[in-house]
Amino acid sequence: MSTGPSYDRVLVVSVFVVASCGLAYELIAGALASYLLGDSVLQFSTVIGCYLFAMGLGSHLSRYVPEHLVLSRFIEIELLVGLLGGASAALLFAVFGWASQPFRGVLYALVLALGVLVGMEIPLVMRIMNQRRAEFRELVARVLTFDYLGALAVALLFPLVFAPRLGMLRTALLFGMLNAGVALWTTWHFRAELATTADKVLRGTMVLGLLAGAFALSDRFTAWTEKGIFGDETLHAETTPYQRLVVTRWHDDLRLYINGNLQFSSRDEHRYHEALIHPALQALPWARTVLVLGGGDGLALREILRYSNIEHATLVDIDPAMTGLFARSAELVALNGGSLSNPRVTVVNADAGRWLENSQQVFDAIIVDLPDPSNYGLGKLYSVPAYRLMARHLAEKGYLVVQSTSPYYAPHAYWSVVQTLREADFHTWPYHAYVPSFGEWGFVLAGRRADFEPPKSYRLSMKFLDAASTALMFQFPPDMQAVPVQANRLNDQSLVRYFDQDWQRSIR
Amino acid sequence: MNTDWSRRRFLRTLCALPLLPGCERLARRDLPVSVLWAGMEAGHALRDGAPLPLPRETLETGVLILGSGVAGSACAWKLAREGRRDFILLAGPEAGGNAAAGEFGELRFPRGAHYLPLPSLESAHVRELLADMGVLQAGVGDLRPWYDEACVVHAPAERLLIDRRWQEDLLPHAPAGSDEARDQARFLQSMEQFKQAQGSDGRRAFAVPLALSSTDADLRGLDQLSFAAWLDRENFRAPGLRWYLDYACRDDYGAPAAGVSAWAGIAYFAGRAGQAADAQPGAVLTWPDGLNPLLRHMHEVGVGAAGGRWLAGHALRAVERGNRMEVLCADGQGGAFLVRARRVVCAMPLMVATRVLPDMAALGFDPARDLPQYAPWLVANFLLEGFPAEMPGAELAWDNVIYGGQGLGYVVSTHQQLRVARPPQTVFTAYVALSDQAPAAVRRRLLSLDAQQLLDEVLCDLRLAYTPIALWRHVRAVEITVRGHAMPIPLPGFLSNPGRLALRGADDRLLFAHGDLSCLSVFEEAAWWGYRAALKLLA
Ligand SMILES: Cc1cc2nc3c(=O)[nH]c(=O)nc-3n(C[C@H](O)[C@H](O)[C@H](O)COP(=O)(O)OP(=O)(O)OC[C@H]3O[C@@H](n4cnc5c(N)ncnc54)[C@H](O)[C@@H]3O)c2cc1C
Repeated sequence: MSTGPSYDRVLVVSVFVVASCGLAYELIAGALASYLLGDSVLQFSTVIGCYLFAMGLGSHLSRYVPEHLVLSRFIEIELLVGLLGGASAALLFAVFGWASQPFRGVLYALVLALGVLVGMEIPLVMRIMNQRRAEFRELVARVLTFDYLGALAVALLFPLVFAPRLGMLRTALLFGMLNAGVALWTTWHFRAELATTADKVLRGTMVLGLLAGAFALSDRFTAWTEKGIFGDETLHAETTPYQRLVVTRWHDDLRLYINGNLQFSSRDEHRYHEALIHPALQALPWARTVLVLGGGDGLALREILRYSNIEHATLVDIDPAMTGLFARSAELVALNGGSLSNPRVTVVNADAGRWLENSQQVFDAIIVDLPDPSNYGLGKLYSVPAYRLMARHLAEKGYLVVQSTSPYYAPHAYWSVVQTLREADFHTWPYHAYVPSFGEWGFVLAGRRADFEPPKSYRLSMKFLDAASTALMFQFPPDMQAVPVQANRLNDQSLVRYFDQDWQRSIR
Repeated sequence: MNTDWSRRRFLRTLCALPLLPGCERLARRDLPVSVLWAGMEAGHALRDGAPLPLPRETLETGVLILGSGVAGSACAWKLAREGRRDFILLAGPEAGGNAAAGEFGELRFPRGAHYLPLPSLESAHVRELLADMGVLQAGVGDLRPWYDEACVVHAPAERLLIDRRWQEDLLPHAPAGSDEARDQARFLQSMEQFKQAQGSDGRRAFAVPLALSSTDADLRGLDQLSFAAWLDRENFRAPGLRWYLDYACRDDYGAPAAGVSAWAGIAYFAGRAGQAADAQPGAVLTWPDGLNPLLRHMHEVGVGAAGGRWLAGHALRAVERGNRMEVLCADGQGGAFLVRARRVVCAMPLMVATRVLPDMAALGFDPARDLPQYAPWLVANFLLEGFPAEMPGAELAWDNVIYGGQGLGYVVSTHQQLRVARPPQTVFTAYVALSDQAPAAVRRRLLSLDAQQLLDEVLCDLRLAYTPIALWRHVRAVEITVRGHAMPIPLPGFLSNPGRLALRGADDRLLFAHGDLSCLSVFEEAAWWGYRAALKLLA
């Protein structure tokens, strides 16, 4: 039986590494849970509690390992921990991305399994050293010192280096490789004492190779799992005081999500924005000023600025982070043609309601490109008083256009917007267009005079609109006919309820 | 991951632990708390028979209105609208009375009344006022007129915190088929019947104003027992429903169901029959500063350029001398003046009137028998920067009530703003009707409390709705209004009180106009008596 300082050193280094890995998996599980599920205090507490409990279980189970198999079991456990821990983040991401239901189940099962295995490590190491007749006092002190030192190292490095530099996925894989490394190293050092080493070396190499391969391919994997979560690779993600903004890219397709709802896809946004802008502006050749409410992506502005008769456009969007992002990011500026920095444009970051109340300006056209009325706050800007307020800012002969969710998927909500505009004394011309990433989408053109005619041609070149399709836009086929609904009054905000119920009914 | 956010959550959780009760005190140590004792000094001086000062000057007028609350202001408004200018509106110690308001910078808030149910057809006086203001926009005589939606309460109107979770609506949700659900449905149905009910005299059983209700003896029988006794008799026993009804009585009358007349309890539900073309039945009108804008409008018209005259000060003594009433008034700055008026409208609370008018008995009013009992209230306004983190469930509503709470919940002053996002600042107004002890005992106790102790009293509900850290990191200032005699309690028998009936009829040199005449503390009643007094003066 081999004794002596060199073996001790091996074991002590193992303890350090093993302890670091143990804590790393715990932190990864906790961080991922709070990142994906929210409520970090709850997630961290339950993950840590569960993990510690499982470690206790592991320590207990370690007594059933017969004395002559201790070393061999230790190596096997290291391999298992490496494999399981290394793959833990990937596993959790994948489960969450593709089926969020069993996520909690998988999370706690994983934490339990890892905890049990990690809990067995230190007792086994102690027994190995004990077999080498280390003095007990010395042994406990040394093992525990390095156990805690390893934990400290990771506790510091994880938030400062690993998580920000490598991300969860690669951090987990890295620690998995360390575990496998310990297994291989221990095998090599104690080869004399082990009955068989070949199989251990083989298995160790396989685990190491697997994890290293995954590490190399992790970029792909991240893209693949985030695709499950957000659709695609995220280019920008930010929680502002007003909303959560996520911009994703998949090949040449840029997408913007606000609070998880798709706002545009660069593949077909031209359909949405041409439909939003041109029927109104084509019919207002004399128009000189336009007001855009919302539309902080600058895409509606891009279309507006194509008209040389438009001398000035004012865009009011609540979120400076949104207009800032779309004015600065090269990819997004390429998409909106730098419209937000155009000298003909004034960008105001203000609550549209407040701005409308305080401003005296009158515009020839008003484009309302706000997120769907999914809550009471947004619903207020789709109400009779809000449209009355907008009417005060609209030239006598001008038009107002409202993006108004899908007349196909959310018919009650859509026709409620129409009804609301009517109650605010507007004449309305509802229309719709097919935008592949949204489905059939709805708009309402409104004016104080009953004089609008859908354009028979367009002065500017269009990718999507032409005379024939425009005529069809203003016709509603039998499956999209008007339904009897209430106007959206502030007292009950029926629109918010219609919107909720309609979208719940159709599969989103 | 937003680390700042998780740290905040962590701290919040820590402070929610019972380990750290001192946390809250620490957090609010430097908070400015101001306390207003509405009209108390003047009232106590009158009660204690302080010596009367000599007047420095004498004014002559046709009509002198004593008190600028809802009743006095309604009287002034109606007089001016009918072309009268020869009158004075004496503000009283608190301009606006129970419909007063305050402000933190740009943010206005109520110091009393905060909402007005949609007026029914009988409340023609209220409709006339709302139309005059432009709030009622069309159909003033229709069953369902059009209102300015800015003032109709916006969704979500109300929510209830029950089992640490917010639900929509104030009536506790109950599983279908449960006793609770059955009792609730039966109760609402019964109120619906009372709403439609007519007496043998052809009047509605429960009209607002009360003076237009049927005097049918059967219906008046409901005034002989307490609301709680009536509920027992009718076997409405479900605890959720009973809590809600208690809450409703405390909210409108300052006393629980056991302490108010069954007629009044039923009237709370059956009287509110107003509808709107552009709002749901049961909707109410409200403004950031409660009902104060109604008062401001009445003042603009009543004592504006084309109306009467506004005077600060309060009445000390009013006596009839020859063909005039002579009213000695304190000017609020240590001085006094005398007003000689052909007629006087006494629009102050009855308990003050008994001190100012030497001989109420001659009018048929015996103070010992006829003075109502007054419920003490606290109204606390919290200026908040940002909004505190919420418990799960329904989002912040206009009116937020806590099941089983000692107070009556809190309203959000910025709720009616037309905004997508929440404003940077807001005011929460918490209402507490102190009905756990006899009113006089409560008043004595209140007098012994300092600002911090009063703050403890008014925190009763907010403390249950928010963790201390969540709340105190947003609160920037607190104003507490103490109303020792906030509102008259409609005890059983209140409808037939002889003294108050006598004062309603007074139509000589001296007239009366105040909510106390109905003994129901609601805007419509107070406005009704002011409006009636004006009609008498105009006749
Ligand atoms: C906390 C609270 C909340 C309420 N909420 C609501 C509500 O939401 N909806 C609703 O409809 N009703 C509500 N009410 C009731 C409503 O406020 C009252 O019914 C109404 O304001 C009463 O008006 P008033 O003119 O009858 O009396 P007061 O408001 O009592 O006015 C009396 C006036 O007389 C003055 N005065 C006193 N002494 C003298 C004197 N010596 N000389 C001259 N003047 C004097 C006072 O300063 C005051 O201006 C509430 C009441 C309270 C207290």
